[in-house]
Amino acid sequence: MIIDATLPPAAATRPVVTVDDVTVRFPLGQKRFLTAVDAVSLAVTQGETFGLIGESGSGKSTLGRSIVCLEKPTTGRVLHGEIDPYGLKSKALRLHRRQYQIIFQDPSAALDPRMTILKSVREPLDVLAEKPRRERDAIAMEMLERVGLDGGFADRYPHQLSGGQKQRACIARVLTLQPSLIVCDEAIAALDVSIQADILNLLADLQTEFGLTYFFISHDIGVVEHIADTVAVMYLGQIVEIAPAEVLADGYRHPYTEALLSAEPVALPSHMRSDRRIVLEGELPSPVKPPSGCRFRTRCRYATERCAAEAPPLRELAPGHRAACHYAETFRRDLQPQEVEA
Amino acid sequence: MLSQASKPGPEAARLGAVRDRAVAGPAEPLLDIRGLGISFGRAASRTAVTRDISFAVEKGQCVGLVGESGCGKTVTGLALMGLLPLSGSHFDGEVLFRGENLLRLSERQWRSKRGRHIGMIFQEPMSALDPVFTIGEQISETLRAHFRINRKEARERAIDALAKVGIPDPSVRYEAYPHELSGGMRQRAMIAMAISCEPALLIADEPTTALDVTVQAQIMDVLADLNQRMGMAILFISHDLGLVSQACDRLVTMYAGEVVESGAIDDVLVEPRHPYTSGLLRSLPTFSPRKSRLPSIPGRVPKAGEFPHGCRFESRCAHARPRCRVPQPIHTLPTGAHVRCCRHEELDLPGVTQ
Repeated sequence: MIIDATLPPAAATRPVVTVDDVTVRFPLGQKRFLTAVDAVSLAVTQGETFGLIGESGSGKSTLGRSIVCLEKPTTGRVLHGEIDPYGLKSKALRLHRRQYQIIFQDPSAALDPRMTILKSVREPLDVLAEKPRRERDAIAMEMLERVGLDGGFADRYPHQLSGGQKQRACIARVLTLQPSLIVCDEAIAALDVSIQADILNLLADLQTEFGLTYFFISHDIGVVEHIADTVAVMYLGQIVEIAPAEVLADGYRHPYTEALLSAEPVALPSHMRSDRRIVLEGELPSPVKPPSGCRFRTRCRYATERCAAEAPPLRELAPGHRAACHYAETFRRDLQPQEVEA
Repeated sequence: MLSQASKPGPEAARLGAVRDRAVAGPAEPLLDIRGLGISFGRAASRTAVTRDISFAVEKGQCVGLVGESGCGKTVTGLALMGLLPLSGSHFDGEVLFRGENLLRLSERQWRSKRGRHIGMIFQEPMSALDPVFTIGEQISETLRAHFRINRKEARERAIDALAKVGIPDPSVRYEAYPHELSGGMRQRAMIAMAISCEPALLIADEPTTALDVTVQAQIMDVLADLNQRMGMAILFISHDLGLVSQACDRLVTMYAGEVVESGAIDDVLVEPRHPYTSGLLRSLPTFSPRKSRLPSIPGRVPKAGEFPHGCRFESRCAHARPRCRVPQPIHTLPTGAHVRCCRHEELDLPGVTQ
């Protein structure tokens, strides 16, 4: 909490993206729906890295896609600054959305195998066709160099590059449009650890240089804790906890966050590992028929009758820290004695 | 647990005798790999993929095999399982399983060994399971291929195996097709199939990579249970150092087709002796302050066929010296650990505790 005081108050920092009560629902036929994102609200501030974690099927990719205008919310609004991009006409949208880019998990699928790296990286500029060819080439080359792929790589094809190099090319491609926000959807999940470290370092450098904002989607809580300023935890389409990253590791207030943290395998010798290891039973319930009340209750070891009857709201527990649990203040026995002031 | 009583054979007697190296005694290790080299292609244009792989897996032990992709982990696992094509592959050295050299086995001899004494599980359960048979039928088939039992007995033992890996309602799930199960349940079904014959050694190749963390934790519990309660030895192939340190007794690091380090897991984590192991550990975000630059290993693993003559890690190593450009022998340390680095005595490399 002391760290919070040194930061400017939340109201003063401008949100790049505001997600306001967004629900994304997919029809399955026979009047059944899959609710991938359910009434999610959050704000991503300028220049920060917003981390989003959750299991597969929790709706984190759908939320990321709706932020970059790839998935229209069924209800609710996504705001880019003050602008509602889904309200724009197609031509205006095309000009607008260049500032909101996305990179994906599998760079091989994101690059056309028949295009040279230079052509792939230049393509967004070609589509816009605002600048002469020579200038477009120059920008693409500059961005390639910026991500550590100098000269020689421009004329190669994707199959001649390693996974890490391909992901660098994808990053160069989105940079050509000078975006203000980049959604990284499991952007490093398919890479080896040492390469992951490289890409994370690169993303951090680019953030400082270009003042980028990241919406970083990952299932790896260790990675998210390292690079994010704010972390949101998603479960079955809903945000169950959201907190400053430095608070979350020790100050988590939701049983699901606790389980995720304890399930993360840490490379420590046996005598230094904590015994606090919670293995959740079962798997993510179907988002077509989510449990009543609190959605996590079917796998929660602290669940009571109240959790089945009443859905817990996402409550503010401290500035910037919200959790959706009836027992957010009390479920952690390890915190009870010191819990006088908070 | 019913099946154990009806099952003869040496494994049954060893239940409960676990991990304790004193119990294992001075007898030969279960699996002893000595100088295994794997190359592909015809004699004239043969490409060596691995060379001089040596490590042992003792009874009831869990050994982790780590390294980046392209280091030869999976191909080593496949060789131990006799799954590399006999024509087109060339092997050097020997792989002793209970004293018998597996590299000498014919396809026919392999058929009675594979699945019976050595089992294997893979990363992608959907491609390892046959979509047109129920999981129960597939497990029964394995059992009936190795034991003289009738369908009813096979069914009982298959249900038993499903129960052992924590599948709820095993007799109902026996009738389920692979597509009816979730990813975690499919992985459990595949483990059930691999352990149905109670092999002494289980090779697990990235068994949880496709799964979510919470389901991964469940599968790791199943493997730990097999290891500790049934005394099944496990060769755990993974790129995830966190998982390996949680599950394994020993760690073997491979780089560009060679073993570069091996030792007791807790020792290696705290005091790695090879710059590559140290680099892998230090690049984990957990060990760097938040938002700081992560130490990474520059460059990438050389391709098979393009391995340098000297130390294969030299071009990426921060500690390289001119003398690293000669072929590196593997050194045995007083602790019984091994390291393939000529500078291992002078270097003080950071581990997880720095």
